[in-house]
Amino acid sequence: MFLRILWKLLGASRGRLAVALIALTSGAAVCSALLNVNLDAERKLTQEFRTLGANVVIAPPAGGSEAALADAAVLDRIAALRVPQIVATAPYLYVAANSGSQPVILAGTWFNQVAKMNSWWKLEGGWVSSRDDHEHCLVGFTAARQLGLAPGSAVQLRSGDRNISLTVAGIVTTGGAEDNQILTNLDSAQALAGLSGRVSLVELSVSGTPAEIEGVTRKLADNLPGLDVRPVRQIAAAEGTILGRIQGLIFWTIALILVLSMLGVLASMAALAMERRQDVGLMKALGGTVPRIMRLFLAEAGTLGALGGLLGFLLGVVLARWIGERIFGVVISARFEVLPITVALTIGVALAGAFPLRLLGRVRPADILRGE
Amino acid sequence: MVPLVQVDQLEKRFGEVRALDRVSFDVEAGEWIAIMGPSGSGKTTLINILGGLDHPSAGRVVVDGLEIGSLGERELTRYRADKIGFVFQQFHLIPYLTALENVMLAQYFHSITDEKDAAEALCRVGLSDRLSHVPAELSGGEQQRVAIARALINQPKLILADEPTGNLDEANEAVVLKLLHELHDTRHTILVVTHSQAIGNLADRRVELEHGRLARISAPSLAKE
Repeated sequence: MFLRILWKLLGASRGRLAVALIALTSGAAVCSALLNVNLDAERKLTQEFRTLGANVVIAPPAGGSEAALADAAVLDRIAALRVPQIVATAPYLYVAANSGSQPVILAGTWFNQVAKMNSWWKLEGGWVSSRDDHEHCLVGFTAARQLGLAPGSAVQLRSGDRNISLTVAGIVTTGGAEDNQILTNLDSAQALAGLSGRVSLVELSVSGTPAEIEGVTRKLADNLPGLDVRPVRQIAAAEGTILGRIQGLIFWTIALILVLSMLGVLASMAALAMERRQDVGLMKALGGTVPRIMRLFLAEAGTLGALGGLLGFLLGVVLARWIGERIFGVVISARFEVLPITVALTIGVALAGAFPLRLLGRVRPADILRGE
Repeated sequence: MVPLVQVDQLEKRFGEVRALDRVSFDVEAGEWIAIMGPSGSGKTTLINILGGLDHPSAGRVVVDGLEIGSLGERELTRYRADKIGFVFQQFHLIPYLTALENVMLAQYFHSITDEKDAAEALCRVGLSDRLSHVPAELSGGEQQRVAIARALINQPKLILADEPTGNLDEANEAVVLKLLHELHDTRHTILVVTHSQAIGNLADRRVELEHGRLARISAPSLAKE
């Protein structure tokens, strides 16, 4: 009989319950989407962070002079470690050179790796796409202005009695030291400096949480004795802070959405409570105890919550997919552990929103039957 | 023999208003009592107290050995489920439940539901073809018959009917009175609040109230003799 009455209750006030169901479903959809995003956010965000520059630097110990250059064989040793979190490895050799009478820093590197970890650099002209391109260079924005260079310009560089001729492929604006440098192929810089097989430092882009990055750093330090392996702490800390803030934002957004859904349910249930006063008065007159009557109404609210949670979860999966594609550029797949959380939260919201129905327990049957 | 209902110096006050003022009478098991009096005389208040819907302000009301005034809310609820069958002027059926489910609702709050018993109760009041109809699909007389079936389903000690024919046309009034007669014939104890002299004359005794006081108790059947 309980289920029979419950079914009839659900059918009796379809309009008001539909409004409550919409509030619950929309709240659950946002919660489900955000929970799905939250579970994937750390991974997605750390992937995104890896396009924002190096976060680990390997260099000879500080305080050295020219002698404090690393052997380029370090690159092979890093590769041999097969650390999956290393997204990109960019060696740098800095050479003091002259363009005509103007001094300039030439940075020799691997352009394909630089491109991976610095996708945000602004480029005018073209990129040097191949690591083996010995003819082209990129010029930092400030250096280009000082040397009067533009894409397509030729530039002659001299270091000691060695010369190199390059064509400017593009002008880069990075907001960093690169703005004052000319970047070219590592081999070309080594040849100009006469430092074959040497690098000044190696920049790494390591994906993962701050703890994972710390782990990779330790592993590299253990395997590269005689070199300093340092995380770029500002970046690691900033990443950690951003992750924490985004998770905080998601948590508080979910809390706010749930409160708003509850208010929507509360409004519908308040109206419903007015409609149900007569029924409750009669049920009490017929010998219905308050807990037994309230169980019916709370079961009704709970059913509504479960249905809203289920529908909301499904909508949330679609919403999460859309957020993933629009914001992270990846597909966020459904996480089924979100389903019980969403349903439980929505049932909780529905029961909290059913507070006005609980007040019906105070109805005095004599008043109702008198028509008050 | 101990009377089924004992009302002794019953008082009910609503603020300054004295709705019932030292009313005393007894009802024997199987009796049909008509409670009569003008509007505002305290008839419904008396029925509400007897039915455990309201508390007396003073005096004693004992029904089937239970003193109503001493019962808490939970015990009163149990008392209503076990011992009382209500029939109201406005029928008071749950609009979204069928006739059958309205009867079963009383079973549900009493103990366990038995669809067959509920259907039989509706058959006894002539509604065998209306089991699956909701109140809106029933006439006033049919709704009142559903209410009577609901009042009887748990075999209550006392049937309290407040103006049971007040909203019915003559034909339906006759049907309901016939049912009340049948209940009386089967030794049910019935208290009917009514304005109607005709209905009052059908009762074993009439308890007449005026301004909350007991004006007189008469026995129409004896007067007829």
